[in-house]
Amino acid sequence: MPPPPEPASDAVRSLLRRIGLELAFLDATAPGAAGTLAELLPSLDETFAGASAPADLVAAVATARSWLALPSADFASRLGQWHPWMEEAVTAWERSGVLPDWPAGLPPLSAQTSPPPPAAGSPVTTGRTAPARDLPTQDVTVLPAGWEPELMRLFCAEAAELLQDIEQGVLVLETAPTDAETLATVFRAFHTLKGNAAVMKLVVLQRLTHELESLLDAARRGSRVLDRDAIDAVLSGADIVAQYVAEANSQLDGRETGRTIPLALPAVIDRVHAILSSPAAAAAPLAPPPGTVPLPATTPRASVAVLPPPASSPTPVNTGPDSGSRLSPPEPSAPAASAQAAAAPAASVPAAPGPAAPARPAAVSTGSVRVDTTRLDGLLDLVGELVIAQSMVVQAASSGDEHLTRSLAQLRGITTDLQRTAMAMRMVPIRGAFQKMGRLVRDVAVQLGKEIRLIVEGEETELDRTVIEEISDPLVHMVRNAADHAIEPPDVREAAGKPRTGTIILRAFHQGGFVIVQVSDDGRGLDPARIRAKAVERGIVPADAVLDTRDTLELIFAPGFSTAEQISDLSGRGVGLDVVQRNVERIRGKVEVESVPGAGTMFTIFMPLTLAIIEGLVVSVGGQRFVIPTLAVRESFRPKAEALATVHGRGELVAVRGQRLPMMRLGQHLGIEGAQADPTRGIVVVLEAGNDRRCILVDELVGKQEVVIKPLGEMFTGRTPFAGAAILGDGRVGLILDTIPLVRLGRRPHTETAA
Amino acid sequence: MTAIAPTIPPAHGPASAQPGKYLTFVLSGQVYGVPVLAVREIIRLCPITPVANMPPHVRGVINLRGRVIPVVDLRVQFGLVVGPDHDRTCIVVAQVAATAGGVRPYAVVVDGVEEVVTLAAADIAPPPDFGGAVDTRFITGLARRDVGVSTLIDLEAVAAADGPSEKPAPSSLSP
Repeated sequence: MPPPPEPASDAVRSLLRRIGLELAFLDATAPGAAGTLAELLPSLDETFAGASAPADLVAAVATARSWLALPSADFASRLGQWHPWMEEAVTAWERSGVLPDWPAGLPPLSAQTSPPPPAAGSPVTTGRTAPARDLPTQDVTVLPAGWEPELMRLFCAEAAELLQDIEQGVLVLETAPTDAETLATVFRAFHTLKGNAAVMKLVVLQRLTHELESLLDAARRGSRVLDRDAIDAVLSGADIVAQYVAEANSQLDGRETGRTIPLALPAVIDRVHAILSSPAAAAAPLAPPPGTVPLPATTPRASVAVLPPPASSPTPVNTGPDSGSRLSPPEPSAPAASAQAAAAPAASVPAAPGPAAPARPAAVSTGSVRVDTTRLDGLLDLVGELVIAQSMVVQAASSGDEHLTRSLAQLRGITTDLQRTAMAMRMVPIRGAFQKMGRLVRDVAVQLGKEIRLIVEGEETELDRTVIEEISDPLVHMVRNAADHAIEPPDVREAAGKPRTGTIILRAFHQGGFVIVQVSDDGRGLDPARIRAKAVERGIVPADAVLDTRDTLELIFAPGFSTAEQISDLSGRGVGLDVVQRNVERIRGKVEVESVPGAGTMFTIFMPLTLAIIEGLVVSVGGQRFVIPTLAVRESFRPKAEALATVHGRGELVAVRGQRLPMMRLGQHLGIEGAQADPTRGIVVVLEAGNDRRCILVDELVGKQEVVIKPLGEMFTGRTPFAGAAILGDGRVGLILDTIPLVRLGRRPHTETAA
Repeated sequence: MTAIAPTIPPAHGPASAQPGKYLTFVLSGQVYGVPVLAVREIIRLCPITPVANMPPHVRGVINLRGRVIPVVDLRVQFGLVVGPDHDRTCIVVAQVAATAGGVRPYAVVVDGVEEVVTLAAADIAPPPDFGGAVDTRFITGLARRDVGVSTLIDLEAVAAADGPSEKPAPSSLSP
């Protein structure tokens, strides 16, 4: 047995010292007290791996790691016996002596929970009995005793971000399982999660993330390539964490505190164990530790395009010279080779320090500060007020004082900048909403046996976080529809002369004060004839309706419309696009659809940059002023007498570009006295919502203004035709018309669609 | 004010008044009192923007330092004689419980604020039973004063009567 290289020996010594200290201070009665130890043990493992430590040392660390799941008291007492043995064993190793006997009071050594260390000669340790594992699911108390709300929230927020990194990374790994950078990112994410969980004393999460970290660590160090099974395991692990975080969040918000939830924790942990102890892993020791000199004897097959260590590679592709140095794919067990391997790595002594250093990256600082959103909203409100107060001062101070005028101009410049900056603080890239789609498309594709490629463009496009929240569900609907219905199965595509792999493009960009999100696919496209037939069958349009292609396509947004012949478990329950349209309209956006049968479909969503501010047309009726969102305004004009017509003595119509549209007197509708009675002396505003249009008659246009939208408060909710209120330039409150119900008044039943 | 919200105890109204400090104000010549802890501030009458489709006692909304706050005319709600606004007319801004938790601002127009008085338990009598002749839903008690009595009311109950659940929107305008 060769002695350890000096740096490794030092590292091991220092780790053991720290473990000893931790043990001395370990409060065995506190749940999750083993937090720091859970950190130190893997470090020890890594150092051993980099230093070709004897098998039993490695196994001893693995065994100790498996105790982390035990109650704190048991853990502490076992580790109390373990630690002196380790000290002795390491001394023996340093002197190339014989390792001491394993303490009789401890359960036998097991390598089950360890990531198979590449150079550890693990054939010796495999086959030992693993401690029995728990049932497939486990009821978990989400909030541990003594949790602090602030910290817990922070933990949840951070976990959500890390989960996104993980999901994103894993999807990359699916196509490029050896991508070093991605492996490192995902590993780091799990590592950070584990650390955070330890801080929060979330023992369960800590254990789970630890296992997943081990799996990724193995992949990262090249002792295992992540196959589909492993990726599924990682994803389901991430799902459990997500479940946990979601539940924690809802309990933090005061719903059902103290509830336990069943998590498929043991199942995932077992799965990871199974993967790690599968033959591929057992044979893994062929891979030398990073930075070692080439091993001449252990390359039974030609290696492909890998630079520094000639890792024996059964997989044809290995990406990049950089990644290659860290990774080597698994070797299917070849007895001769592994026998050799057991001895060979031991002979090669790495000059470089073990991988411990790069494996423990400090949390990356992004130079950002987390701010409570209510504070941010408060700031935005105040800035809005400042802008208004400032304009009031300007109005009041219209004296001839040149000095004052100059100062006021300067003040205006500052407030404008301040407002812009405050607005920008609410802006976040749409990336978050897009990232979910990768997983979604993958899952649909796997489930339906389709081949789908998702291309994402413009994910850095920024918009208000509340808009992103609102758009998230509609996007899921649309992407799922595209993957489920639009993209054909590979064989069908091939028969139609298209590539087997379907493509869905998700694109976001800015255009004229709006954010536009497009979802396009190269699938089967929408068939106007079929849509029409279905709409007639469902009674959405009469059989003799005259519709152009655009109108026909718009029918897919009608409530209760679904062309899917088979209701799949993924989409097509008849609530789909109408919900999409509803949600998008709620944030004052709109959806359009274009399609070419056989070639594909494209949905375009227009959204406002922010929900907090809208551009409004200020109109007056009978001395009162109202704000109409300009997005809903098609045009406005003073009607000529000949453009007006009356039907049935009451219903008024206006001719707009050759089309007669119903006209509503806003004053009459809102019960305002003193409104202009003569339409030719008023102004007609043409409103539109989707395909519907309606004219409203107002007295005059006051101007165009950007206004901060204020909620009207619960007293008015659902009882008034207004979407909110705004503070106008003179400090008075102006009401914002809710245009969609106004336009659709009496057209469609406004029953709430079950969503 | 004919409909009765399901949230309001129908017969004898809210819990009886507790001793403590009360703000008294005048509505159509009569004195009323509310617990001073519910009052946030008193402001001069300012332009009120009327809101369509609301019952007549809801005067509209005002801008209170950037917040949009509903203003209710208690004289209309209580069926009192409503005179024209004058220079003592002002707005009492209170806060009441919001349905979603927390508090929400709630302002009432009054014909003038009188004073803050401290009432002991002995000063407070339970609301009388008028046999249905007077709407006592919002009355928590009567306070004896040097001259006459003041009626103690529960703004929470008054505000709850305007809750969103009172009745469906009058037209198909609700989303």
